[in-house]
Amino acid sequence: MAERPGLFTRWNQARRADGLALRRALPDRLLPLLVAAMAVLAALALAGATGAQILSARWSNGAASMLTIQVPDPETPTTTAGTTAHLTRSDAVLAALADSPGASRVHRLDKAELGALLAPWLGQDHDFALTLPAIIELHMATGTQADATALARRLNTIAPGTLIERNAEWGERLGRLADSLHSCALLAVAIVVGIAVVLIAATTRAGLAARRLPIELIHAMGATDGYIAGRFARRTALLAFIGGLAGSVLALPILVLLSRVAAPFAAATPTPTPASSADWTMLAHTLLATLPTPLVATLLALAPAAALIGWLTTQATVRAWLRNLP
Amino acid sequence: MIRLRDVGFRYDAAGASAASAPVALRQISFEVPQGGFRWLLGPSGAGKSSLLRLLALAARPTSGTLEILGSSVAQARRAALARLRRRIGVVHQDFRLLPDLPVFDNIALPLRLQHRPEDEVRDEVHSILDWVGLASRATARPPQLSGGEQQRVAIARAVIHRPALLLADEPTNALDEYQANRLMELFRDLSGLGTTILVATHNDALIRRYPAHELELAQGRLLRDG
Repeated sequence: MAERPGLFTRWNQARRADGLALRRALPDRLLPLLVAAMAVLAALALAGATGAQILSARWSNGAASMLTIQVPDPETPTTTAGTTAHLTRSDAVLAALADSPGASRVHRLDKAELGALLAPWLGQDHDFALTLPAIIELHMATGTQADATALARRLNTIAPGTLIERNAEWGERLGRLADSLHSCALLAVAIVVGIAVVLIAATTRAGLAARRLPIELIHAMGATDGYIAGRFARRTALLAFIGGLAGSVLALPILVLLSRVAAPFAAATPTPTPASSADWTMLAHTLLATLPTPLVATLLALAPAAALIGWLTTQATVRAWLRNLP
Repeated sequence: MIRLRDVGFRYDAAGASAASAPVALRQISFEVPQGGFRWLLGPSGAGKSSLLRLLALAARPTSGTLEILGSSVAQARRAALARLRRRIGVVHQDFRLLPDLPVFDNIALPLRLQHRPEDEVRDEVHSILDWVGLASRATARPPQLSGGEQQRVAIARAVIHRPALLLADEPTNALDEYQANRLMELFRDLSGLGTTILVATHNDALIRRYPAHELELAQGRLLRDG
């Protein structure tokens, strides 16, 4: 006696035999290929958006929250009234900065750091004939802004000639630049999604035209718009998911490479690639660990997002097309 | 039952205005009770096929009111029309079989669209294949069948779900006399079970053998109802 087919097999047979022949309406090569290409572009644009966002945050919260103070003749004792005569000008400024409201860290560059800073102009020889000014970094606590003008006035009473360079101006400019790049990247993502929608809609319409006779026939027999649109949409969603997955995998090495190039700007520590790539799970884990967390999440969401876009676009396209039938 | 009141129908000719579109039917009014049988007569171009299209819900009337199986077509929503279509069986003059589906699956279509269990579908289709004498052709594709065999497949597909309304356009065209008589016996049985039936035909011999209420059309108008 022949074995009775399972429930899923029978359900699948019934779906296949409704005459729509979706494998012919929506071929399983073209759509995944197009979606994969769109997914790679989307992944690159999203990587740009994520990178710009990280840089923006770093420049706004990092460099922008620091003041650089130059104290000329740092070892000369202070002469200003009201200060302790034993202190040098640099020590007096350091003491004043330590008391500044919102200051999280005050650091005077030592001789080696100063030498490294000036090396491009003065060479590697750190025995300078000239007396160099003291360079002090004042780091402000997160969320606090230093009043550079008031601070400059106060420091000049302690050590006349002290200069303050406000990094926030550069930080704000760089932040604005990063924000613009972020907006451009999001616009690129929107354009990619738009093109994907147009491509899926065109492919679906071609499929509808190719299967017009069976569609009209089953519609005349009582198939609802929801049934026909659902059959097309599920097929498109599956193909788009496969395309999205392929696109994510293809984009991964490019993103890892970009991430490594951008690491010094984002202060991320690049994870070394294992010498042996025999363990693919380990390799994938290592590659994903190289990327910023938001980008990994975006990459993982790419295939489901492609499927959702495919499903929604096909539903809308098929339902609009069916409106031409009574 | 079906009820028509002053039904008119114009074909939506491309580029034609509503007024200049070709008129297929004018002011058609008649009723057919549940289980009623009607011959639909008239020369070619009289409007028989257009009337069957309206009754099959393949088009909507451009004027008048049409009531099918207790539902007004003009006011029905798309989902309601789809439900109504599942209660109608149609034998098309050109058969309209899907060439890439086997005979079995062509006949099973109405049942599958009603989401009947596959076991039930299999039993019903095998049963009707036996009745139309095509049990051995279940796996054949329509292009591999003769005209008469294709017509029998189309008839089997139209009646397999025991429709409340059965519409047939020249259903005996490709059948021999024996098959045509068997078909008329089937129609009589279905009518007795409550199926309302309209059959468009030019076959005078068949009409004489099976006399019934006649609807005669000419130039889109109903000339006779009796």
